[in-house]
Amino acid sequence: MLDLFIGNISSAISHEILMISTENKELASRYKKERDNLIVISKKYRHNINPIRDILPDKDIEYIKSKVKNKIKSELSSRIKKGYKNINLNIIEEMIEKYLRAAKVI
Amino acid sequence: MELISKISKGTKMDQIYIPKNRPGFHTGEYVKIIPVNERPKDNYYVYNIKEVPPIKIEIAKQIFQIIESMINYDNIIITGSFLDENFKFNDIDIIIITENKKEIEKSIKEKLKIEVHTILFNQSLLIEALKIDPKWRLMLSRCISKKRIAPLPQRKLKYRYLDVQLIESKTLMINFNYLTGKEKYKLTRNMMAISMFIKNKNISDKSIEKEIEKELDTNIEDLKNNLVTNDFFKRYKTFYSKLEKEIIENASKQEKDA
Repeated sequence: MLDLFIGNISSAISHEILMISTENKELASRYKKERDNLIVISKKYRHNINPIRDILPDKDIEYIKSKVKNKIKSELSSRIKKGYKNINLNIIEEMIEKYLRAAKVI
Repeated sequence: MELISKISKGTKMDQIYIPKNRPGFHTGEYVKIIPVNERPKDNYYVYNIKEVPPIKIEIAKQIFQIIESMINYDNIIITGSFLDENFKFNDIDIIIITENKKEIEKSIKEKLKIEVHTILFNQSLLIEALKIDPKWRLMLSRCISKKRIAPLPQRKLKYRYLDVQLIESKTLMINFNYLTGKEKYKLTRNMMAISMFIKNKNISDKSIEKEIEKELDTNIEDLKNNLVTNDFFKRYKTFYSKLEKEIIENASKQEKDA
């Protein structure tokens, strides 16, 4: 369940960072329903990870953050290597915080 | 020259909206307003739907009326699962072509007591969307609209944009064992629509379903009913990886040429 949660959160963040980096970002963000689904799925998995009603222990939070960060970096770096411009890797950490807070992990 | 329009409620004064592009009735001119005895016939256009149940037509008309009374618009388009043959829709997708940015979704929900999802576009953004995004072409391929819809513009391949859209379909590979049939169908449809858009094929629900059956060697009803197995997963993964590679390579070329 934890791996699924990490996979979905990573995918949602990679998607958002790539979206921000395109010249058509206004259009890319117009239909939010599918992306919101990804967040809904992540929250569903979160409800199956103990402790359900409380934030996770520091050790688990660090583990999740580091896994998510590596997954996003790998997704985005492969594109930067191919020549993609304007992908801001500096926002990864704040994005992770935002998404984990929304999923009540932190 | 005469125009028939409805009086709508304003805050300090009520008003009558008339189209911006019109012969005559110039700004500053004086006009005479007289009531018409009969309510003008409700006009709407149905695209690529064999039969729409009267209750859905009634809902569509109500949506048009509610929006009409709230904002000035160029067109209103109802699309999505609401137009499926059954009544299993979660919400109603409403595309409103307008320069207005007023938030009206909440008001429509309150008046209709139905979940709706409104998407506001101005004319130029909609044209851009139809040029570069297969999702919007698909949405307009089957819809009910208040006014006639112009033919689709020529497509323009922006691979980096398509890359962002394709990532959504990665969800199927991450969550294969936990998704419903409907979710799997939607994610597969998104991937196939992108592939067909690149190949310059006609995009509609029917044509995409045919392509899914052909390319992924699966029965569409099995997919919708969540009866697909690991073999489907493997074929999906191969198809996705190949398409992703093609898109990223072309996006890189476009970046270099820009």
